[in-house]
Amino acid sequence: MAAPRAGWRPVTLLALAGLLALGLPACAPRPDVLTFSGSVVGGEGEIVRRQIARFQAAHPGVRVEVRVTPDSADTRHQLYVQWLSAWAPDPDVLQLDVIWTPEFAAAGWILPIDLPPEAAADFFPATLAANRWRGRLYAVPWFVDVGMLYWRTDLMPAAPGTFTELDAAARGAIDRGVPYGLVWQGARYEGLVTVFVEYLAGTGGRILDDDGTVVVDAPAAVRALAIMCDEVRDGIVPGAALAWQEEQTRFAFQNGRAAMMRNWPYAAALMRDPSGSAVAGRFGVAPMPHGAGTSGAALGGAQLAVNARSRQPDLARELVRFLTAPAQMLERAEIAGQFPARRRVYDEARLAAALPIAPADARRIIEHAVPRPATPLYTQLSGLLQIQLHRALTGQASPAEALSAAADGMRRAIADAGLDEAAR
Amino acid sequence: MSTPAGPPNGTNPAGALAAREARLAWRLMLPALVVLAFVAVVPLGATVWESLHRHDLRLPWTGRPFVGLANYVTAAADTRVRTALGHTLGFTAVSVALELVLGLALALGLDALARGRGLARVVVLLPWALPTVVAALVWRFMFDSESGIVNAIAASVAPALAIDWLAHPWAAWVPVVLGDVWKTTPFVALLLLAGLQAIDASLYEAARLDGASAWRRFAHITLPLLRPAIVVALIFRTLDAFRVFDLVYVLTGGGPGTATEVLSLTAFTALLQDLRFGYGSALSVIVFAVSFGLALVYVRAIGARTGR
Repeated sequence: MAAPRAGWRPVTLLALAGLLALGLPACAPRPDVLTFSGSVVGGEGEIVRRQIARFQAAHPGVRVEVRVTPDSADTRHQLYVQWLSAWAPDPDVLQLDVIWTPEFAAAGWILPIDLPPEAAADFFPATLAANRWRGRLYAVPWFVDVGMLYWRTDLMPAAPGTFTELDAAARGAIDRGVPYGLVWQGARYEGLVTVFVEYLAGTGGRILDDDGTVVVDAPAAVRALAIMCDEVRDGIVPGAALAWQEEQTRFAFQNGRAAMMRNWPYAAALMRDPSGSAVAGRFGVAPMPHGAGTSGAALGGAQLAVNARSRQPDLARELVRFLTAPAQMLERAEIAGQFPARRRVYDEARLAAALPIAPADARRIIEHAVPRPATPLYTQLSGLLQIQLHRALTGQASPAEALSAAADGMRRAIADAGLDEAAR
Repeated sequence: MSTPAGPPNGTNPAGALAAREARLAWRLMLPALVVLAFVAVVPLGATVWESLHRHDLRLPWTGRPFVGLANYVTAAADTRVRTALGHTLGFTAVSVALELVLGLALALGLDALARGRGLARVVVLLPWALPTVVAALVWRFMFDSESGIVNAIAASVAPALAIDWLAHPWAAWVPVVLGDVWKTTPFVALLLLAGLQAIDASLYEAARLDGASAWRRFAHITLPLLRPAIVVALIFRTLDAFRVFDLVYVLTGGGPGTATEVLSLTAFTALLQDLRFGYGSALSVIVFAVSFGLALVYVRAIGARTGR
């Protein structure tokens, strides 16, 4: 008797456990659980938890689960594409990088979100433009990142406004013994494209025009790249910077080895701390200089979108609207120092204490923000452009050769994807 | 032992035994073959099948149509792929040659050690034990033109020697090749050391009695008898070097431009960055086919040497 019972009891238990494990999620009705995926490390996690708690308090019976995803943009992108292309219904709400929205929208992975006109008018125009695909808005800007010029107030009387002034200021600083006139992110990665986008705005060039046609080999664009190449050739920007990303440029500027730096707002907060910074209290922030065009700031930052397969799209949209409301943006700025995407928040007195630079300056820079091309092929086009920019900067090709090679590759990629003849 | 009793019908008993042994051998190998089929043949087949499709995750509206060899045609016409193939072959030739020469020298040194051989072997193996990504990061820091130790030393010798290593299309290969040689020479040395220790010491004694010089003993005893170990080391290193990825990915990312881009990196970009699964699979199959071809050449070489 004992033997058979000892034999089947564990089997039964296992089978039961298996049934429970398989059956429970399927039959338990959980209509009001939303999943949210985004950056939840450090201060950002605190903000998200607080704000979600308030959302739940305002919506009794609704629970929001936070799905932790990697903070590295490339890894998160891969993960999202795997989930969404498999039509997973969760996460319901996704934090997107500014360059992914057209890709996900064109693929049909995220739902359009319409804003009431007064809200739409409140957002910085560039942040909305970056999140539109074929005329409709697919993601709501959450916070803004912009490229700007950091300059040493003890080395020059005012921030340079034009490329010519930048050149003179850099040479002046080098004559006074500062090793580098200017540092920017010159490694072959996405950051290089953001720098290029700012020089492009300065010369009046673009990567794609409004119709999606490649114009990166036009004379204005060649001029932009030629200015960057000259800066390297003349020793204003060190050759070492051609292998640098954000942090290496910050170290150089923070240690007093560079007179100017192009970087994102995060650097300001870190460099204001005198214990680790040799330039605390001796630097200012200004819009990027320009030539024949206008000053431009590459637009970065995060947006929120709703999964097209979400089981509760309306509730998910509700969460997006809540998280992108002015009160939440102000709180985010106060805790994490991230720039609000709505202009109205810049009138709040509390914002001045929260941001690393004066809100009026921040607003002035963001008004000049230029989005990167809105195309589902962005990653591929950017990859092609990065290679050619880097070839020109490292002297392997002239600016004109490099950009014409980049333009050829981009045109081929767009034709291969059938986007050139797609209905629009 | 007496001969086993053969079947009474007059067939060759030794042949029957061999056949039975062969059947047993197949049966014993079957589980291993099944596992191999699942972990190697099936994924490989799936990759080949995928490479015959146009499959772009970013463009779901294009579907996944069968396109035959179109991806291979695109790859063959792509200068980026051809350049990367050239880089990969050049990197393989240079780094494996250096590893072989240095590894042989190291093995001879270790073999000649009278005492402390065990300790020396452990010390020599240390670079091999370090994860490649960590080693590659350290090499990148050392070759950073602003704060790296290489330029600090170079500048103290002659300021002209301090160059922007990672921004120069040729100089960027130096840390890549050095990193690979530093990391894998110990592996070659240990393989060759095992080969050296298998050589009968009496051969050397006889040669010495006949008055052969150290060079003649090396050229006529050591090298020929070490040949099988050398070929094994070459197979391992060539295949590994041809598929190099992590070292280049971390150290230069394939830059400046695409000056140090190797084939695995091109495939990685197509697959995981551009999400072009069909095309990326085709590139992966090309990497596989070339390294498999190289392996066949080596296996032939061993066969020719051992007279089979």
